[in-house]
Amino acid sequence: METPADLDARIIKLISQVVPVKPEQIKRGDRLREDLGMDSVCSMELLSMLAEELDLDVGVEDAAGIRTVADTIALAARFLRAKAAA
Amino acid sequence: MTTAVLGAAGFLGVNLVDALVAQGERPRCVRRPRTNVLALRQRKVPMVTADAERPDELREALLGADTVFHLAGHYPRHCLEPALSLETGLRQLRHVLDAAAAAGVKRLVYVSSTATVAPAAGRPSTEADVFQQAPPYGLYHALKWQMEQLALAERRFEVVVACPAACLGPHDLRVGTSALLVALARGLDPPHPDGWVSWVDARDVAAALVRLARAAAPPRRVILSAGTVGLHPLLLALARRYSVAPPSPPLPAAKAIALADAEEARARVDGDRARLSREIADLIVWGVELDATLARTSLGVVFRPLDETLDAFDAWARRVGTLPPHPKGAPWKHPPISTHASSS
Repeated sequence: METPADLDARIIKLISQVVPVKPEQIKRGDRLREDLGMDSVCSMELLSMLAEELDLDVGVEDAAGIRTVADTIALAARFLRAKAAA
Repeated sequence: MTTAVLGAAGFLGVNLVDALVAQGERPRCVRRPRTNVLALRQRKVPMVTADAERPDELREALLGADTVFHLAGHYPRHCLEPALSLETGLRQLRHVLDAAAAAGVKRLVYVSSTATVAPAAGRPSTEADVFQQAPPYGLYHALKWQMEQLALAERRFEVVVACPAACLGPHDLRVGTSALLVALARGLDPPHPDGWVSWVDARDVAAALVRLARAAAPPRRVILSAGTVGLHPLLLALARRYSVAPPSPPLPAAKAIALADAEEARARVDGDRARLSREIADLIVWGVELDATLARTSLGVVFRPLDETLDAFDAWARRVGTLPPHPKGAPWKHPPISTHASSS
């Protein structure tokens, strides 16, 4: 079972593949657009990569409200819980 | 029958996948290595990864397919490097055509653009109105014309070409042809020239593409357009629809094109989006009135009215955040605008 810290690290690593920022420089409170320089297309690609990596059925609508690294982690955690409960 | 869709994750692609699935098909969805596939994942359709720059991946992706939809033609993000963009677009299309030939494809439906339709004197343009050489307007027109010529020159298998007008509808996540509409609805005042614009519902394009693929004797090239209107009157009507301030008057053509070039150069440095792209400026300035009779008669396509298209776009765009949510207490139903638009 993945711990919250493992999930954080996994998602931060994914983000570092989308933007030219090293994982150790990415913080939970960072905003995807303002702090990490993602545009809306880039942030959708991130969530798509996340859905593929974790095999989650994230919808475009679910992804729309994501603004920060912490939002991304929370979204992944919510879908992982739903998947485990199914 | 095996069907492959190149560009399945994009705006038209998702609409096409829906149309194919509705007909009981299970298309093989070819996607780029890094792209947003959330919509495809939800549809549980098979996906194959292939890069248009990698012929071996394309051949593998198309192997065993008898029908291929090619919706993944090169789409430059700006018009600042025309030679490079032309070279890239033609090279990638050659890769697709060669891969289709190697895979034994029978028919390829190629999605081009109404930018390849030439003006006609005194009447709306039809499929018979073709440019004899690349239109001298800008990169977008030249690229689309050269790519279409290359596709039509293919003899190893059948190629049919669809020329859709500005596509509107659900799944336009990149805010392509809806850019002016979204900017206006968000209360911005998008700079724009005036000229003819033709629109079409992406779902109708999808239905037409399926018919092009399945018809026994399809037209070789077909215009897909629900209607043609003047852009500025359309924006005025949209401002009423979205209860926002009317747009500023249109810019003269030369000024709009100069602004678009400057905006693209600025956006490239700043890493954001041009307020007016050169592609959009050219499409409006050089826009022609279109006659889509052939699509109606030969394929039986019924084009939706603009209001229906906008209602579907709005509902989707507000769900995914492209448009802001309705203000509390605002009427759900927008005032109709189709009375301001003339269908062709």
